[in-house]
Amino acid sequence: MSLARMFAIGAFTLVFVVIGMIEVAARRPGSNIPTLGALCGFVMRYQVRRLPVGRIAVLGFWWWLGWHVFAR
Amino acid sequence: MEPHSQLMVEAPRPWARPLVLVPVFAVVALLGAALPSFSGRATALVLVAGGPLFWLGLSARLPRHRAPRRLPSGAAWWLLPAGVLFAVEATNFLLGSTPDHPTLSQLADIPLAGYPCRAAAYFGWLMAFWGLVRR
Repeated sequence: MSLARMFAIGAFTLVFVVIGMIEVAARRPGSNIPTLGALCGFVMRYQVRRLPVGRIAVLGFWWWLGWHVFAR
Repeated sequence: MEPHSQLMVEAPRPWARPLVLVPVFAVVALLGAALPSFSGRATALVLVAGGPLFWLGLSARLPRHRAPRRLPSGAAWWLLPAGVLFAVEATNFLLGSTPDHPTLSQLADIPLAGYPCRAAAYFGWLMAFWGLVRR
């Protein structure tokens, strides 16, 4: 395994560890960090006039991700 | 009494209860995981499973969790993993997405080649999709 590949795997692992740590911190009572779900909810509130741009973007991204992972 | 941070507007519909949805998602995941990548059937199942969820997410048919109007300052912490993920993913993508410079999806292909892991991931994708629909 090359050093570059090891670095990439390490970086991705670190990202998910940090995500887990922030989520745990966000769920502590009195935390001023929003949970990932609350963050998604905030983004999904975004509208341009009456068009729910945030919802379309987040749900569309998740749908695309499923296709990318399981069907492409 | 402590105020609820996430209030429901109304009770969920009978078919939207976990008792109904979890088995349905499990069956879809078990079927979907058996379909090979790059196949029309795999694409069709993602479209058939994701389409109604996408539509439900845009409609007002289901009660949603209350989303915050403003984010607290601690939200900036999320920029750290997002930034690193974007930087590593973009760098590896621009370097050709080779075995030496793998993107996340390329690395995910290895565990997802096995049926149990693929089925579990499919189920997780559907459950997370449902969670987003209710946001």
